[in-house]
Amino acid sequence: MSSTSRPRGLVWFLGMLAMFAVVGLLCGAAALLMFSAGKGAALAFVAYPSFVVAPLLGGVVAAYCWRSLQPTIGQLALQVLYATLAGLVLAAIVMREGAICLLIVSPLLYGLLYTGAALGRVWFRHDPTKLRLAIFPLLALALVGEPLTRSPVQGSVVDEILIHAPPERVWSQVTAFPTIPAPANFWLFRLGLPYPVATTSAGDFVGADRRCIFSAGAVFTERVSELVPREKLTFEIIGLPNDPELIGHLTPHRGQFLLRDNHDGTTTLIGTTWYTLHVRPLWYFDAWTQSIFRAVHLRVMDDVRRRAEA
Amino acid sequence: MFHWVVRHLRWLARVPGLPHWFDALLVAWTAVAHRPRLAAMEAVEAGALRLAGATLGVHRLGGIGFLVDGAEIGHLHGNGLLDVHLTRERAAELIASGRTQPHHVMPGSGWVSFQLAGSDDAACAIALLDEAAAARVHSRS
Repeated sequence: MSSTSRPRGLVWFLGMLAMFAVVGLLCGAAALLMFSAGKGAALAFVAYPSFVVAPLLGGVVAAYCWRSLQPTIGQLALQVLYATLAGLVLAAIVMREGAICLLIVSPLLYGLLYTGAALGRVWFRHDPTKLRLAIFPLLALALVGEPLTRSPVQGSVVDEILIHAPPERVWSQVTAFPTIPAPANFWLFRLGLPYPVATTSAGDFVGADRRCIFSAGAVFTERVSELVPREKLTFEIIGLPNDPELIGHLTPHRGQFLLRDNHDGTTTLIGTTWYTLHVRPLWYFDAWTQSIFRAVHLRVMDDVRRRAEA
Repeated sequence: MFHWVVRHLRWLARVPGLPHWFDALLVAWTAVAHRPRLAAMEAVEAGALRLAGATLGVHRLGGIGFLVDGAEIGHLHGNGLLDVHLTRERAAELIASGRTQPHHVMPGSGWVSFQLAGSDDAACAIALLDEAAAARVHSRS
């Protein structure tokens, strides 16, 4: 039976299924490659290795399935939107992804699926009988090559604020702090992303255990690795909470507070977090990561300022 | 938003696929928030395809390209902004009459920009593409 004789709804559905099949197969294959190459060992990363190529190709294949329908821009946009929503629901069920992570990934997923589908729509409109297989080896090469050539990239986020108090008063507020009373203003915190609420410390010495407590009961365990009173506090992050919004996508390595005496009764407090992102494309996810870490820093540092200036 | 991105982040257009991804988001936004504009975009595409020798293409900076005999006569961005390639004199005339705007990146060139808002704009946009297609055929002959 040719696709032209099938009901339109069925053709749309089959195209969507083909899209999922392609994305699933390619991501699975890329994850397997990464696993065998020793560059990624967790199944949690299954969808990430080829997050650009796989959705693009999924979109192209869906467009091939939809070619008999000669979809308009609006129809294409709507169908890809449905497919994106269905894909996010699947990711939440199968991969146990958190809602915020899915929210972050949704523009990327939609944009890539649509780009692939829009490309395919133009290609297959000219000659619906051609599958244009020449592009597939190139995409396969990109799919295989990208994960294998990837190397971990460590990033850092640095923020600083001015506190109208001398370093000795700021220092006592940095090593540990009680519950932060301020409401979470950052929009992702309000949507449910865990945010810092308090920090406890076993003491002011190298090797001391710290617990950075986030909302929803998430706790990061840390160990002090460097401590210069009134100047510097560095801690290694040694334990991550088992929260779907916080694990798998990145590894925070260490954090640091630097106090700079301005010799005018004020102190500049500099907060830094070092991390490694496991998800690609880096340009997309790093922008989100920086924004989130910045919000975490500023929430904690604003509270340090409030207490030091009180 | 579109104009801010074009003005400040145009250098990112060199990243392969990035302009297309951005255009995809523009289409999504138009589909959700500006349905009449999306309908006009669909009407322009359908009208352009009725022009003699016209085919669709994927524009290198995102959006749909309209080609006649393999040469681009215009392209439509995901926010309903139509860019049309005319002669420099004709472009200046249209801009002076207020029917079109200077091209959003290359003012003073033979390109003009026309923002689609609703279905009433489709006929005017198709007429511009028709004129560009005729100019293209004329220059070739």
